[in-house]
Amino acid sequence: MRGQNALAAVLVAPLLLLLAAAFLVPLGTTLLTAVADRELADTLPRTHHALAAWDGEALPGEEAFAAVADELGVALEERRLGPLAQRMNFAAGGQRALLLRTARAADGLTAPYAVSLPALDPRWGERDTWLRLRDATGPVTPLYLLRALDLDQAPGGAVTRMGEEDRLFLTLFLRTLGVAVIVTLLATLLAAPVAFLLASLPPRWAGLGLLAVLVPFWSSILVRTTAWFVLLQREGPVNATLVALGLTEAPVQLIGTRIAVIVAMLHVLLPFAILPAYAAMKGIDRALIRAAASLGGSPVQVALRVYLPLAFPGIAAGGFIVFLLAVGFYITPALLGGPRDQLVASFIALFINREVNWGMAAALSVLLMGFAACAIAAARLLLPAALKGRLSP
Amino acid sequence: MIPTRALCAIGLAAMLAAAPAGARDLTIVAGGGPLQDHMRSTLFQPFARASGIAVADTSYDYNVGPIRAMVQARNVTWDVVMVEAPDLVQGCEDGVFERIDWSVVRRDKFLPGGAITCGAGAIGWGVAVFYDTRRNANGPTTYAEFWDTRTFPGKRALRRGARITLEVALMADGVAPGDVYRVLATPEGQARAFARLDALRPELMFWSGGQQPIELVNAGEVAYAVGFVGRTTNAMRSGAAYALKWETLLYAYDYWAVVRGSPHAPAAMRMIEFITDPAPLLELTRLWPINPVTAAVANDVEVRARNPLMMTNHVEKGLNISTEFWIEHGPELERRFAAWLNR
Amino acid sequence: MSAAWAWRVAIGALALLVLAFLLAPMAAIIPLSVAPTEVMRFPPEGFSLRWYEEIFTSGRWLLAARNSLVVAVATTVVATTLGTLAALGLTLGRFRGKAVLIALFSLPIVTPSIVTAASVFLAFSLAGLSGTLAGLVLAHTVVAVPFVLIAVLAALKGFDMTLLRAAAASGAPPHVAFRRVVVPLIAPGILTGAVFAFATSFDEFIITLFIAGPAQYTLPRQIYASVREFLSPAICAASVMLFLCSTVLLALTSWARRRQ
Repeated sequence: MRGQNALAAVLVAPLLLLLAAAFLVPLGTTLLTAVADRELADTLPRTHHALAAWDGEALPGEEAFAAVADELGVALEERRLGPLAQRMNFAAGGQRALLLRTARAADGLTAPYAVSLPALDPRWGERDTWLRLRDATGPVTPLYLLRALDLDQAPGGAVTRMGEEDRLFLTLFLRTLGVAVIVTLLATLLAAPVAFLLASLPPRWAGLGLLAVLVPFWSSILVRTTAWFVLLQREGPVNATLVALGLTEAPVQLIGTRIAVIVAMLHVLLPFAILPAYAAMKGIDRALIRAAASLGGSPVQVALRVYLPLAFPGIAAGGFIVFLLAVGFYITPALLGGPRDQLVASFIALFINREVNWGMAAALSVLLMGFAACAIAAARLLLPAALKGRLSP
Repeated sequence: MIPTRALCAIGLAAMLAAAPAGARDLTIVAGGGPLQDHMRSTLFQPFARASGIAVADTSYDYNVGPIRAMVQARNVTWDVVMVEAPDLVQGCEDGVFERIDWSVVRRDKFLPGGAITCGAGAIGWGVAVFYDTRRNANGPTTYAEFWDTRTFPGKRALRRGARITLEVALMADGVAPGDVYRVLATPEGQARAFARLDALRPELMFWSGGQQPIELVNAGEVAYAVGFVGRTTNAMRSGAAYALKWETLLYAYDYWAVVRGSPHAPAAMRMIEFITDPAPLLELTRLWPINPVTAAVANDVEVRARNPLMMTNHVEKGLNISTEFWIEHGPELERRFAAWLNR
Repeated sequence: MSAAWAWRVAIGALALLVLAFLLAPMAAIIPLSVAPTEVMRFPPEGFSLRWYEEIFTSGRWLLAARNSLVVAVATTVVATTLGTLAALGLTLGRFRGKAVLIALFSLPIVTPSIVTAASVFLAFSLAGLSGTLAGLVLAHTVVAVPFVLIAVLAALKGFDMTLLRAAAASGAPPHVAFRRVVVPLIAPGILTGAVFAFATSFDEFIITLFIAGPAQYTLPRQIYASVREFLSPAICAASVMLFLCSTVLLALTSWARRRQ
């Protein structure tokens, strides 16, 4: 028995290693990136040291001023000021300009620096400037996570709410939740009749119907999103049909609306709801239904009391998968939605590709993961039977 | 039965093919689309032939994230990149781009502002109001009129981003082009710009890719759009019935830059020297209405006469997009713009 | 009984509508891919194969097709091998925490794909694996492997371990017993897993978007680049090709399942 377990361990180990290297370590990296605050320590080590010893009451001593004046110029010369400038500017606008201006003028500064720095820029004579630097001494900062929750850090670390005009992410998380819930509900509602039809058809017809589900399931999400882009245009076939049916007088705008996003997401995710529901319904013993009917149950009673409870685990498992996938959707809202239809994922991509703010991208990822974990936990509480359903068709 | 050996052989071959290639070609990256196709035939390939250096080209969407990532990871796979001015200047300060070797690239051939620490002027670009005259006979000629939905009903398309859009909004609010950046630097000016955007919000659609304004106008999704003049004029040359309003032009330069840590840096400098020279650029002007930053081409009377739609002929009507302003205020205004868009 | 029939008809009609909804985009893409003009308008006027010609002659589309194939094949081989081994280990072993291990291996499916993509991007950038095909294979393998594991575990569930003991009793060395006894029985499960792995990698987009440089563009990534840069029916032609590949794969799985 021990030999068998050793063999089992040897067999499982390679996959475990791969998972660790290409998944668990990256997830860990994200967790770290969301809170890491190394820029000041890396760029201006002496300033970092001086500020670590500062009590934050009055202005720091000459040692800190001298370190700033000395190190900023060198960092600029060696062209490694960028990350710190970005980090400080993220905490408060204008900091990048202050650091660069000081760095450029650093050569001309003379001791005592506690006098010459504020003479160059009065902000060096303000305690808040120094408190912001001290907030960046790390090694961890809550700043990115706070910002991802529309909160801010005042100089010195006190947590405040972001100004009305800068609030964004809570709305975004709520919107993501809302879209995911709508898509999940629609998907489960529409999946049930399809699964029922497929399960009750004779095999040959069921196979054909299943093909109609599997063909989109197997084609790339990008292909399908592009197709919807064509279909939903103002002069596309959907609008033509709407006008022909007299539902609207003139073509309506669909691209760039929430409707387009939900329709396309539903299209992408429906098979994930249909397949488990179909598997569950297929497994229901027909004799049981007949027995219930012969015992005098009305069709509706039989459907609600016998059939549905038996099919429920499959339907719920499908809904669960749809929700988890919907929460992370990026490309469909990006291509079909307007600015008010973007989900959290769009902003993760934005922070990585455009803003190059990895801290924010990581913080949003961590929160989204927490979001998914909460969904899993809720599903475990609410649908204990559902989790016994299968994941694959 | 699975043919195990065959499977192993295929897998091994695939793994070998997947291994990073030891030497890669000098890689130049620009904004893609038809312009890049023409640059390939008139600039990149002639350089490869003249120098004997193998060149590969590829496109990106002007997002500097991947560039910063490759510099940080010390795994630089791009050599020469076409970059927007604010990204270039900021990236230069941050050590993302190499300093241009002005002993290889001749500095004196550029228009003023075309030769900066880390970049050599590539092309000028601009945005302006345009519309399809087959759908709308008349359209706005100023930004104030662009905001006038009573005279010109229909949807409008603007760029999804603070840059350009906020300038446009301020001009619609009556700020003279010369005062735009002074006003936009103040909180009151920013509030005015966002208030103007609020007023037009129900009629606005936003684009992010360069081809999208053309697609939106062609498909009738919007009546009027602010879009790139290069793509617009090219469509006009191949038959599109657009009206393009040069009075609404906002313009800037794009630059060629060398990614820091590029193993091909010396060759990259030689390439930049070649592709900013008048001779190959003149060839390019025959294929695409470019707006050269190389003085000899930009001032070539024959080129300008041949291309009435060339932006160079119209820049005096337009507003030069301020690089300094957007480096200083970009992060904050972009954040506020993103929040505004989502409200 | 008539009420029940009315219900059945209503449900059937709704189901048919949903099936039509599922097929509609594919039905739209195919005619557009043979449109003779650049403008994607519906219905297309005329017929031409120029967009197919374009994708079959353009260097970028061919490179993308090659990358897609190389990455998908490599992913399939790695994922199928490691997934099958792990499934065997999980079936053979008699240790606690097996459920935890299976949950751990399934984690990549339940993690929002954008989070996986962003994490892999951050870690691979720091490790210098961004912009390499090997990095792409590694990342695709992680999301493809759960499908192999599930399929092979399911196939092994019906496997009678006494067969192995019988083989050992008749003097067969373990690896021979494995190849002659175990592999043939679970082959359909392995094949299903392999096809799933291939399809997962072949269709994967978000991770590729984040970590592939232009030299590693796969077909979905190239479609995205084209959508962003210059929307033309070439995208539809490429989509139809991708779609044909998927259909072939689909036929392959149903064939495997029938054998099972």
